[in-house]
Amino acid sequence: MPFLAENHIVFICKGMHGCTSHILPSAFSLLSIYMKLNLNDMARCLDLPVSTVDRWIRQGRIPIHRSGNDCIFKESILEKWAFNHGLRFSLPNEERKKEQKFGLTNLLPAMQLGGVFHDIKGDDVESVLKSAVDKVPVPAINKQGLYERLLEREALTSTGIGKGVAIPHPRTPLPEETDNSLITTCFLEKPIDFEAVDDRAVFVMFILLSTSIKNHLHLLSRLAFCVRDDSFVEFLRTYPDTSSLLSKIADSENLLDKADHN
Amino acid sequence: MRILRRWRHPASWSIFRLDDRLLLILIAVIVGTCSGLAAVALNRSLIAMFEWLHHFRHYWWSFIMPAIGAALSALFLDKMVKEGAGHGVPEVIYSVSRYGGLMRFRSSFSRLISSCLTIGSGGSAGPEAPVVMSGAAIGSNIAKLFSLNDRQRVTIVGCGAAGAISSIFNAPIAGMVFSIEVILGEWKAVNIVPIAIASVAGTEISRILQGNQIAFSHRLFHIGHLDIVACIGLAIISAVASVLLTRLLRSMHGVSKKAPFPIWVRAAAGGCAVGIIGIFLPIVLGEGYHPLRTMIEGAYTQGLGIVTLAVFAKILATSLTLGWGGSGGIFAPCLVIGSLAGLTYHRGLLLLWPSVPWVNEGCFALLGMAGLISGMLHAPLTGIFLIIEITGGYEVILPLIIVSVISTTLCHYIEPVSFYLKELVEKGQLLRPGTDARVLSDLSVQELLEKDCIIVKQNMLLRDFINIIKKSHRNYFPVEDEKTGRFLGMIHLDDIRSYLFNPLMYDAVVLGQIMDTDVKVVYLDDDLSEVLRKMDVNRLFSMPVIANRKFLGMISKATLLDKYRNELMVQTDL
Repeated sequence: MPFLAENHIVFICKGMHGCTSHILPSAFSLLSIYMKLNLNDMARCLDLPVSTVDRWIRQGRIPIHRSGNDCIFKESILEKWAFNHGLRFSLPNEERKKEQKFGLTNLLPAMQLGGVFHDIKGDDVESVLKSAVDKVPVPAINKQGLYERLLEREALTSTGIGKGVAIPHPRTPLPEETDNSLITTCFLEKPIDFEAVDDRAVFVMFILLSTSIKNHLHLLSRLAFCVRDDSFVEFLRTYPDTSSLLSKIADSENLLDKADHN
Repeated sequence: MRILRRWRHPASWSIFRLDDRLLLILIAVIVGTCSGLAAVALNRSLIAMFEWLHHFRHYWWSFIMPAIGAALSALFLDKMVKEGAGHGVPEVIYSVSRYGGLMRFRSSFSRLISSCLTIGSGGSAGPEAPVVMSGAAIGSNIAKLFSLNDRQRVTIVGCGAAGAISSIFNAPIAGMVFSIEVILGEWKAVNIVPIAIASVAGTEISRILQGNQIAFSHRLFHIGHLDIVACIGLAIISAVASVLLTRLLRSMHGVSKKAPFPIWVRAAAGGCAVGIIGIFLPIVLGEGYHPLRTMIEGAYTQGLGIVTLAVFAKILATSLTLGWGGSGGIFAPCLVIGSLAGLTYHRGLLLLWPSVPWVNEGCFALLGMAGLISGMLHAPLTGIFLIIEITGGYEVILPLIIVSVISTTLCHYIEPVSFYLKELVEKGQLLRPGTDARVLSDLSVQELLEKDCIIVKQNMLLRDFINIIKKSHRNYFPVEDEKTGRFLGMIHLDDIRSYLFNPLMYDAVVLGQIMDTDVKVVYLDDDLSEVLRKMDVNRLFSMPVIANRKFLGMISKATLLDKYRNELMVQTDL
C-alpha cells in the first residue's frame, strides 16, 4: 500500500513495548487516523489466538486491512466493532495498567504502608484493639467502623494463631475504606490474653486489611509462613525496630519466592 | 518503475481504498459488464452454430450430431481444462461456501466452449448455468486482482452470476434474485447493493449489443377466477415434472458413472440417444427457445397426446444429455418442460370442461415455466421474477405467485433439498453463513487450544507432583516421556484425590503408575464437528490435543462455547 510507505509522519507511542503505532496523513485521511500493529500484537490486543485474527482478516469479518504482516485499522472503528461483538480491544499499554491494579500485594509493601508501632496500651482485647486502630493509617471517619468489624470477627473465634501472635482482620475485604492492602504491626506494651489457640498471651498483632479476598489469602499465607518459623517469632520477641523488622520480612519473602519458583 | 508497479496492482490505487462499499460497487460494474459480455458471446456463438449446422439437419445421419458435440465437449472439459462435467452452478455454490468464492481463471471460459458444443449440436441443455459459472469465475478473478477478502469476494462472485443471468435473459431483477436466493443464500444489504449494480450493468450490455427485446412476448391474457383456481392443479403437475426431472438426472448420472467407458464415449452415447429421440420429436433438441416462443403465442398445434409425450421426452433428453457427460444448464430445459406441462394441463382442462372459457393456452405455458423453475431450484422468487421479466407480462402475477409457491412447497416435501444443492448437502459441504456447520468448519482446533496445562514427566514422584498442583489452574495434567517427549497419558485430579492426602504414598508412587493411558485424544487437523461428537459419545468435557505424538494443549467445551459464540456473532452481524 503506497500511501503507507510514502512521506508520512511516524508517531511512536511511548510505553508500548515492541509495537509502534503510525499515524498516517494521506490524501484522504484528514478525518480519520489509521494505526498499524503487527499481527501478533493485534491478536494480543484483542485477546484472541493469532490464527483467529488472521482468518477473520482474510474472511473480511473484522474491520482491519492487511498489508504484509501489518494490520491497518482505525482505533475508534475497531473499538466499536469489538464492543458490539462482545470482544475486548485495548492497546498494550492500557492493558498493563489493568494488570497492575488486580495484581497481588506482597508482605513488604503492605507492612511499609501499614507502619510498625510499639507500646500499644490496653488490658484486654477491646482496649488493645481500640488503641491499635488509632494507629492504622485509614481516614479518621472509618476508624470506628473498622474497630467494630474487628471486634465482630474476634467474637466469631479468636485470631490469635499461637506463639503469642494475633492477626486481627475484618471478615470481608474493605475496598472502599482503603485503596491498597496493608498490614499494621503493633507490639503491645504488655502481653494480654487473646483466647489464642495455644492459650499463650499475645505480644504482637498484625492488623490485616485487604482490598480483595484473594489478596487477603495471599497475605495471610505469607504471614503464616513467617510465623511458622520459630526463629522469626524469637526475633519478634526482641521487639525490633521498624527497619530491622522490615529487612527480616524482606529476607523471609525472598526465601518464599525462591521456593515458589522451584 | 514504481508507477508501473502501482498500475499492475489495482488494489493499491488509493482511490479504491476510499471506502469499501464504494470499491465493491465499482468492481460490481466491471464484473457485471464482463459477465454480460460473456453471456452475449455464448448467445451469439450458439446462434452462429445453429445456422451453420442447420443445413445438415436434413440428412439421415443427423442424429449423431448431438453425439459428436457432447463427446467433443466432454473431451474438452476432461482433457484440456481438467474440470468435471455438469452445469456449474453447484460448483459455484461450493466454492462460495467452502473457499470464500475462489475459482480458477480457466472456469471463466471453459463452460462457455463446452456448452456451446453440446447445445449447438442439438443436446438438450441450457446456456444459462454455464454463463453463471463463467460470470462467477470472472468475478472471483477480478476480486483476486483487487485483493479483496473472502467476504467481499463472495459478493463479487454473486455479482458475476447476477450479471450473467441478467444479460442472457435481459432480466435484471431475476438475475439479482437468482444470485441472492440460490448462489449466496444471504439477504443482506452488503450483498444486495453491488449485485443490483452488476445486474444493471449486465442487462445494459446485453441491450446495447442485442437490443432491448423481450424474449417471449405474448398478447394480453384475460385471467378469470376459475383460471386462478385451476392453477393449483398446474402447480401439482409442474411439481411432479420437476421431481421427475431431478430424480432422472441423478439416476442417469449414477448409471453413467458405473459404465466402464471413457467419459467422451459416455457423452457420445447420451448425445446419440438424444439425437434419435429428436428424429421423432424435434422439440427436444437444443435449448428450445424457438418452440417456446410458439407455445407462449398459443400457436403450438400438436394435440394432447403428442404434448404429453413431449414432456416426458424432453425430461428424458435433458437427463441423457446432462447425466451422461454433456455440458449445459437446466434453466432452458426447465422452461421448455414447464411450458409443455402447461399446455398438457390446458388441453386436459379443455377435454374435461369444454364449455368453460379458459384463458389462452399460452398463459398456462408461461405459468408452467414458473412452476418448473421454482420447483427445481426451490427458489420461488427467482421463478416469479424470471417469468415476469422474460414474458413482459405483469397481469399474470397472481396465478404466477400461486403456481410458484405451491410448486416449491410440494417439491420441498418430496425432495427436501434442491437439485443444485443436493450433492453438496450429501457431502456435508453446503455451509451457508451463520449456520452451525459453517461456524464449526471455520473454527479450527488450533484456535481453541488451551495451553495453560502443566506437563509432567512419567518418572516424577507424587511428592514433587503435589508442588505442581499448587501452581496449576487446571485439573488435568498431561504426562510425557522424559527422553522422547512423547505423550503417554493424562492424570485427572479426581482420580488421585484420595492418594493426595496420604503422605505414605508421596515417595512410593511415580506418576507413570497413576496416569490414565487409555485417553481419547484429538488431532490438530480434526474436524470440530467430529471432535464434538467424540466428546458427546464419551461424555467428556475436555480432551488433549496431540500432534506428532506430542501434547499441544487441551480443548474443552467451555472454551468452545466461548469461541463459538464469538464466531457466530462475528459471522451473522455485518
